[in-house]
Amino acid sequence: MLKISLVCAALLWSLSIRAVAQDTEGPHIRVAIDLVQLNVAVTDNKGHYITGLRPQDFLVAEDGITEQIAAFGEGNESVRTLPNMVPPGSQPQPPVTAKEPGERLTAGELSSLVGGASVFVLFDTSNYMYRGFVFAQDAIVDFVRSLDRADRVAFYSYSRDLSRGSLLSVDRAQVLRGVRTTVAGDDAALYNCLLLTVQDAARFTGRKVIVVFSNGPDNASVVPPEQVAEMAQSTGTTIYMVSTEQAHLEPISNAVFQRMTAATGGKVYFAKNWKDEQDAFSSIRDDLAHLYSLSYYPEPNPNRGWRSIRVKLTGNHGKYHIRTRDGYRLRSFEFSTENASPNPQQPTPR
Amino acid sequence: MKRPRWLQVFLVFLVGACAGLASAVRGAPSDRPNPVGKQADAPSSQRAALTIPGPLRSFLRMAGISQKASPDEIVPFLARNVSLRGYSGQGFSQRPTEFLILLRRYVQQARELAVLAGPQGLIPVSGCKDAERILEILGYRTRPDCGQSNAHVETSDSQRAFLTIDSGFPLPELERTLQGGPPFTYVFPNSEVPVLLSERDWISVHEQLNGKDKNQTGLLDVLLHDPGVARLYAAWSRMDPETLVYLKQSPGLKRLVPLAASLDYYGEYIRIRSGRVLAPGGTAAEAQWRELVGVSPDSPAEFVPRLLTKDNGWLAAYFDSLARAAPDQQAHFLEPVRFRRCYEALRGRDARPSADGSVFRPDPDLVFLTTRLEWDRDVQPRVPGNLQAWKNLLNRKTNAEMARSWGLRLKGLNDAEGLLEAIFAFSRVPIESGPADIYLTLSELDRRRSAGRPLSPQTVALMADKFAGFSDQYLIFSEFPELTDTSIALFLNTAASLGKIPDHALRGNAMGIFQANVGVWQILARQGQIPAADLDPSWQRLIKPFAQISSSAQLFDAGRKSLGEISLAANGNRRATQAEVIDLVAGPRQTVPASQQMHSQVADRIRAVLNDQRLVSIDTLFAISDGLDSIGHGGSADKSLVRLAEELQEFQMPRPIFSRGERAEWAAGVYDNRHTELQMHTDLPKILASATSGQHLEDARGELVPFLRDTLVGLNYAYYEPPGSQALHNNPLLVRSHDFSGESIVGLEQLLWQAPHVIGTGSPAGGGAHLVGSLADLPYVLGRMEGDFLSPENVQALIWSDLVPGVIANAVVPRWWNVTSNELHAVALYQRAGEELLVASAENQELRDRVSSILSARMTPRDASLLDSALAENRVRDFSGELTPADLFYLTAEYRQKFPADPPWGPAGRELEALNRQYPSEVEWQRLSRDFGIPHPILERTNARELLSVGPLPTFEGYSSRLLAETWDSPNLYWARLADEMGYSPVELNRLVPMLTRRMIVKIFATELDDSPAILRAMRETGDELRHGQLAAIPALSRGSSPSTAVPAENEKVN
Repeated sequence: MLKISLVCAALLWSLSIRAVAQDTEGPHIRVAIDLVQLNVAVTDNKGHYITGLRPQDFLVAEDGITEQIAAFGEGNESVRTLPNMVPPGSQPQPPVTAKEPGERLTAGELSSLVGGASVFVLFDTSNYMYRGFVFAQDAIVDFVRSLDRADRVAFYSYSRDLSRGSLLSVDRAQVLRGVRTTVAGDDAALYNCLLLTVQDAARFTGRKVIVVFSNGPDNASVVPPEQVAEMAQSTGTTIYMVSTEQAHLEPISNAVFQRMTAATGGKVYFAKNWKDEQDAFSSIRDDLAHLYSLSYYPEPNPNRGWRSIRVKLTGNHGKYHIRTRDGYRLRSFEFSTENASPNPQQPTPR
Repeated sequence: MKRPRWLQVFLVFLVGACAGLASAVRGAPSDRPNPVGKQADAPSSQRAALTIPGPLRSFLRMAGISQKASPDEIVPFLARNVSLRGYSGQGFSQRPTEFLILLRRYVQQARELAVLAGPQGLIPVSGCKDAERILEILGYRTRPDCGQSNAHVETSDSQRAFLTIDSGFPLPELERTLQGGPPFTYVFPNSEVPVLLSERDWISVHEQLNGKDKNQTGLLDVLLHDPGVARLYAAWSRMDPETLVYLKQSPGLKRLVPLAASLDYYGEYIRIRSGRVLAPGGTAAEAQWRELVGVSPDSPAEFVPRLLTKDNGWLAAYFDSLARAAPDQQAHFLEPVRFRRCYEALRGRDARPSADGSVFRPDPDLVFLTTRLEWDRDVQPRVPGNLQAWKNLLNRKTNAEMARSWGLRLKGLNDAEGLLEAIFAFSRVPIESGPADIYLTLSELDRRRSAGRPLSPQTVALMADKFAGFSDQYLIFSEFPELTDTSIALFLNTAASLGKIPDHALRGNAMGIFQANVGVWQILARQGQIPAADLDPSWQRLIKPFAQISSSAQLFDAGRKSLGEISLAANGNRRATQAEVIDLVAGPRQTVPASQQMHSQVADRIRAVLNDQRLVSIDTLFAISDGLDSIGHGGSADKSLVRLAEELQEFQMPRPIFSRGERAEWAAGVYDNRHTELQMHTDLPKILASATSGQHLEDARGELVPFLRDTLVGLNYAYYEPPGSQALHNNPLLVRSHDFSGESIVGLEQLLWQAPHVIGTGSPAGGGAHLVGSLADLPYVLGRMEGDFLSPENVQALIWSDLVPGVIANAVVPRWWNVTSNELHAVALYQRAGEELLVASAENQELRDRVSSILSARMTPRDASLLDSALAENRVRDFSGELTPADLFYLTAEYRQKFPADPPWGPAGRELEALNRQYPSEVEWQRLSRDFGIPHPILERTNARELLSVGPLPTFEGYSSRLLAETWDSPNLYWARLADEMGYSPVELNRLVPMLTRRMIVKIFATELDDSPAILRAMRETGDELRHGQLAAIPALSRGSSPSTAVPAENEKVN
């Protein structure tokens, strides 16, 4: 049996929220990282997705220490707990109940944690988007419609402030209403608002994905992209970005978008026209449908700072390309609950 | 503390951007009834109305008007938005802005839809067949096959589609119909909103001046195409109703259109009664006004136009500024000689630029002078120090040159009157730290000092000399007038010497540690933890260790000694631990368990910030220092010392996204983390291993200095943490990056002791925003940095970015440890007794006159007139919603003072009197003002908390809506009333006030920069949430938990 020295992030996340809601003591919650969940894309040289891989085809190492995969899933299929990870004698005990730090999860709990995807769409409604606003909106509408197998979708928009147009929901009509009620204008504080979105996403269990549609420039954020990327990495949130050709040509946005998405295991797309935008969203939808989900409890590791993650394929699969987040920082996060929606909807495991 | 020029330009851009593009909002149009009396010129049944095509909700979105605006406010808001934000350039180069272009296009689109809707105001779409026309108007088409379940709409005409979305058309619902869903019916009625005068009046004046235009058939078109009429309408809507009756007759709208700008800025306080203009100073001053204007106030038709035009509008500015002053203040200025000389000084030799040509009203100092000028016993203007000090100041080369270039008329400075004239003259020059600014600040400081202890001429000279570099620091001297001239000089001289330290890093650390300790002292002094008698001595003791700093080791010792002196003054212990320092800063020691719990929560919040900033504990730093001392005395570096030293290495920089080269190229002058990098290169364990000599040990102690600075500075940041802050918790470089010595930016060298600038906003490669400058005004600046993390509750609601930091500072600076339950209850009773007075006044003419007289001092003539009407017509209950908690509080306080013999007018009034008899010191104005007031760094030039009874102030150039935040002292009074009514104890305000203020901010849905009704709405909505249990809040504690004595229940007899 593996020794667990850390606690499950995702579980404590939701439990912490509940605690706040009950005693309403403080506007902030603190969360410790435990179960590490990776979204992994495997592609060949031509970018085609490689499917049908098994848990034993993956090697996961953290700071060079080999980790044992606790749960595994591919695409939209249910995540399954690997037998050797089930604590002896334990019985599935849904629904999830509170755990003390360091306590292990049952197979049922684990499965409910890493199953399903929460997709947060973050749409740039700043002045920079003025001209292409309606076309981008059309592309997002198409994207949301096409996510027929994704579990939950939230739609946020940003300019100087964040607007939570539609909270995480399986109701597509509600999300589409959110998209169609956005309005354009004001400065662009992409990284401020992305930070808040990562925090919102981190409250939910399972795969967490943020899809950003941004025209590129940021002229109002006070937090740097590095901190946002770190938080996304440390909360297991994958960031995809769809942007414009102008942003591609603008070196700062180009660099941030490329590097931030890569660091979190996501991708960036620079669209020349609205058709490209639609293609980009299709590609993201495909990506989501082909991601492997790997979870593990980190082995004992004295490193209290940044931990690097390396995922490799075994045997003949070594030729394929792997895309996933490259590490996380071991720290407790404090998120303000005051800024979030008053009653964040808890996911319903499928 | 005026805003720099570049920020003003930015603000203007922002205003345009916000109002233009971010104007749309979601939600139903306001169903609030019209505020009573808002349209006093006609009964509602007879009011003229303006027809707006389509639903009001959509129009408001496009016009940048709050959905919560009342119907009466809509056309005035529209006129104001069009005139203020609808055009760029002037004269022939004037062009409509994108905001106005979009609004015009929307109106056109709405008219097309209105045709489709027909007289029924309904647009029915049963399916694909009848959707063609509406889709064409909306700018959409269906794909792939209409009527199929996979059908959807996509943009066919982006210009139209933008309007469709921006105006909030329910596209998804229409789409469902096109997918074979149920029929779609859109209610698209035209909307009618009240209009001032009649629509024909405005159209006529437009046609008289511009000729007929067949395309502009209604007032809406006129407002959207004629900036002159729009501006006049905006000005008209703010004026006294009775006055408007005269002005409409003569000189009439046509003559007033060219004067609209001046009328807009300076017309609010023009009042005409019985055929005479009521000039400031009353009838006694009429002759003087006649002389100055050239027309008698008896002839309003001529007087008003002449007033508005004379001297490029400066005479109107003078009139308005005096009209805003209290009667006794007016009387001082209306001394015949003074009256004319002050105006001549203001006008100067050259009255350019005009007083009405800028985007916002110029010369705020003029209003500050007329409303707040201090007089001595002989009714002479106060002269801080002596005349010679002011002569020296005004004769400086820069001032003399300024006077020449602005055509100022400076006469001999032989007496106080001469000084006053000079100050009036300089007030017109829009510079920071000019003579008017200096005079206002030092006068206020002088006033606050106890009798017999005025500022010495030397101190005045010193402070004036250093004003440009230190004025923001002076607020602490007016907050604590106990600080002597010696203390002021000690501070300034020490600061100056620290600023001259040649080594950049040492200088920055010295300035940081010094100011952080001053900040801690200020917190403790404000919270009453330093005895009054020890304020001045402790101030000097904290500063003196910094007198001679030439090495880092010296600085470390100075910082530690200084902190020890503060701790000694506050709790008698010179060697406080970090936990003890945090406990001290969190607030005075509490004895009751519930209060202790609150105290712990506040302390925990401070710890959370320190943890998230990953700052090293001062315990660790002091222990290492002690260990080094021990080695110096023959000890050795044991393992525990090495372990402590290793703690300094735990901090890791965030994983970089940019290379050094990229940062240098993309964030030149913004990214600078030398301070942090220096810390990260500190290898104290290695130094300890090799430290053999005394010098080595000294050097090792010096290595601790950057860490000490960050922790002490972090303590200040943490104390003033704005509600909902994110940067403080998610950017661990924030405190470390505070640039005290101007390393990272060029051009601020002379301003490093002034309020900090937020640098790096919107610079992704810059490593996040950070502060450059001092710790002065930290609550406001942190509020500015963190304010945008508060997400508006209404989609893209207008929440002015200059207002939010001020409102946050008002919530964060006051603490509630020393407030008693009796005070809390008294604050509630003052407000309720104010309501009782209002109600009673409806039935009592004498009382009505008194109430009206008191409240009118806080209102514009228009609002005062509406109040009079409401009281006279017994519509008090409706009107009371327009009054702020501060109005009600002030009404009771002023009434009690003016009419002490009058019996109370209701149960709250009786209870207040009973409370007063039993606990007079807890009910008195001064104490409540101190405990429930807010800082007024601009109006009063102090950080001292105070309730200030002032009338509404316009949006001035340089201050934007910051003045609104300073005049908006209602929230704390309102939260206190809620707390009292709901059974919270006073200490719980430490948590409630920031929380409720945050809720209030996200609910603000304003239209104009000075839209105080929007804040009032947001405040009341927040209160309702709390009352209805919709907010997460701590459970109320029992009254007995507070430090005060029990309060008699309502109606309980008190003998």
